Amino acid sequence: MLFPTIDFALFFLAAFALCWVLSPFPTPWKLAVLGLSYFFYGWWEPKFVLLLVAETAIAHVGARMITRARDDRTARLWKIAAVGSLLGILGYFKYAGFFAVSIDNVARSVGLGNLIPLIQPTLPLAISFFTFMAISYVIDVARDELDPASPIDLAVYLAFFPHLIAGPIVRGSELLPQIRRRRDEKHIDYSRAIHLIVRGLFKKVVISSFLATAIVDPVFVSPSGHSALDVLFGIWGYAIQIYCDFSGYTDIAIGLALLLGIKFPVNFDAPYSAVSLQDFWRRWHITLSRWLRDYLYIPLGGNRGSEGEIARNILLTMILGGLWHGAAWTFLAWGTLHGVGQVVGHRRREARVAAGKPPQTTGLIAHIGHVVWTFQFVCLAWVFFRATSFTNAFEVLGRLFSGWGSPTTLVTPLVILAIVAVLAVQQLPGVLGARLAAWWSHQHLALQASLLALVLLGVTTLGPTGVAPFIYYRF
Amino acid sequence: MSDLIEEYDQDAPSAPSKRSGPRPSTTIGWQRLLGLMAATLAIWLFIDSTTLQHNAQVSPVGIRRTIALDLLGPVAALSRVTQVSHLESWANGALGRNGNGSGGGESLTIIMPPVQKRTTTGHPPIHPAITTIPPNSMQNPTATDPLRVLLIGDSLGIDLGDALQNRLAATGVVVAALDAKESTGLTRPDYFNWPAELTSALPKVNPQVIVVMMGANDPQAIPGPPGISYGAAAWDVAYRHRAVSFMRLATSEGASLIWVSLPPMQEAALNAKVQHVNDLQRSAAAKVPKVIYIESNQVIAAPGGGFSAFVTKDGQNINVRTPDGIHISPSGSNVLAASVIHTMRKQLDIPVP
Repeated sequence: MLFPTIDFALFFLAAFALCWVLSPFPTPWKLAVLGLSYFFYGWWEPKFVLLLVAETAIAHVGARMITRARDDRTARLWKIAAVGSLLGILGYFKYAGFFAVSIDNVARSVGLGNLIPLIQPTLPLAISFFTFMAISYVIDVARDELDPASPIDLAVYLAFFPHLIAGPIVRGSELLPQIRRRRDEKHIDYSRAIHLIVRGLFKKVVISSFLATAIVDPVFVSPSGHSALDVLFGIWGYAIQIYCDFSGYTDIAIGLALLLGIKFPVNFDAPYSAVSLQDFWRRWHITLSRWLRDYLYIPLGGNRGSEGEIARNILLTMILGGLWHGAAWTFLAWGTLHGVGQVVGHRRREARVAAGKPPQTTGLIAHIGHVVWTFQFVCLAWVFFRATSFTNAFEVLGRLFSGWGSPTTLVTPLVILAIVAVLAVQQLPGVLGARLAAWWSHQHLALQASLLALVLLGVTTLGPTGVAPFIYYRF
Repeated sequence: MSDLIEEYDQDAPSAPSKRSGPRPSTTIGWQRLLGLMAATLAIWLFIDSTTLQHNAQVSPVGIRRTIALDLLGPVAALSRVTQVSHLESWANGALGRNGNGSGGGESLTIIMPPVQKRTTTGHPPIHPAITTIPPNSMQNPTATDPLRVLLIGDSLGIDLGDALQNRLAATGVVVAALDAKESTGLTRPDYFNWPAELTSALPKVNPQVIVVMMGANDPQAIPGPPGISYGAAAWDVAYRHRAVSFMRLATSEGASLIWVSLPPMQEAALNAKVQHVNDLQRSAAAKVPKVIYIESNQVIAAPGGGFSAFVTKDGQNINVRTPDGIHISPSGSNVLAASVIHTMRKQLDIPVP
């Protein structure tokens, strides 16, 4: 069930009423939320609800056994067993086919023939997201940072439908207390929630869809048929498309959760205003960044050790972060580019500090230069993220050099406006939308409903017929 | 990353973005909020009812469609009587849209062959607005006098069309136009009218070769009155008739038509339906001159013609299908596109590089 559909609107209206009616009764509320969330997930493929239940059971049993373990070694074994099982499930569905083919290709090339069966399991929706949440829960319990939750609380935490499909990747310490306590039914922060939902719908349905069909898809499908300028704007367009698509989803998810009295963490903070790759990763998919930091980078050694070890830890973290998105060499290249870029940036900052200078040059011109450079590097990496293969990626990049002189057909004023507007908004303080929402919330209820309906009409009219799935659904 | 990790500001769940500005503190009780959301939905349904009614009409036949049409019918009628529907028509008109996507050239994209430098003597850019293009000999395409190919299909057709369009454009002597739309076929012209779309596209592209791949969405009831259920003998007759008519329309201006069969599906029930559609399309192709029928299951399937996610080529495994067991992967599309180009060379005698 996609957020921007009438099916979901009707589902949410019913879910909203049911959740608030049952809010004073903790157990019925949790059962209702769980039932609604499983229904929401099963709408796509009912059988994979069992997978969600299975991961919940693994996380629950693992956490319980860790807390009951008589010694550290036993607790550690249970942690490895639980995390290993969760990673095993993720690995089977997401990576087994990729590695089987890669190994088999190597075996064939050295004359060993067909060694292993080739498989391609159907990828369950959102498996990366809920698996990462389950892993974080087990590890937090093992680290004594979180008390084990009851089975129902844990199930609601992992399956809560606003975050289920594409995040944010919420921590147990953030969501479980909110599940346990009663929500304030008289003070719902609705103006912020509606603001986020409308903003998210506009980003996804209008901007992202428009750029995808107007320039991005044609350029990446057939780079050789387009001019260098088309390709350049197509790459920039993809940067805007994926931002509007993913942050649009997150906005809607945070807004929906707020309407149900639940607060999610921030997941995006104007990423294209970043002045370095380090800054970019503070602003892009923040909940994944901190997951990688806490459960991968720091256990690898973090920034303790030699410069070489730090560089290794950064590279490994970013490469695995790339592979988290999917089993493809292009994702690996995307992660590697970001890793190398961060290592170089880190070394450069260290050298400047050692020389008694600030980590980065200051001043307005330098700031603009940093923002522009960072954006272009991120765009270069996005080419590998979007491309269907290395061949496709290098076709796109090669066309930037060979395509000058060909007629430019895709760079229209509307395409330029969409790209420039989104980039410009990220450089400005985001007060306009919040002020509009505040003004709207002080109007009469009938006027509020009428204005909101007109906004919905605007979004549906400006958007295409039918809505494509969110890009991050497949992760 | 290390600096990110050292300095990362761990937001509290409720922490607003640094850019979110003054956060409105307006709150409301859930009953009033429920009323607001219900009223919003009702008003939106009212003012957008004609589009929603159209969307319901073109959705798959079944209980969901029936309920939606029963609910939206009176609302849309009231919207029209009270002239409220004009608001939506005005908005669509301002954007130059017809308010529905039922065919008429909206989904056509044309890829020119790459041109290194602008020349004044080169072939003029082919654009949807151009209605007449002088014919050339397809046996001798050049950059200035390219072969014109029209690619048509549903989502599987898009898979093939994307790869084919890129490969053809890269030859430098082919103009490849892709006219494709997901979830379409020949069964539901009320949703997307392919004969109307093709009629609109033919004069714009003036194709010498047309490549079609569609039909996986077709095993469903043909809406009435009188409706014909999938599985009935009358459905086969009606579907074959539609396929023949479409093929005749495609070849009516002299173009050669390459019809690519649907590949086998992973799920047995869907595969049986798709193979049945293939049988009907194959028998239709045999009745129409200038139609070449390509069996995709000889290219992107197991050696026996059954479903396989992988094929082996030059000693390497190629993943030819997507994990849904329905669509074709980019690698698979490339393999299939190569087969179509091979057919152009061998059966149509076109020297495509």
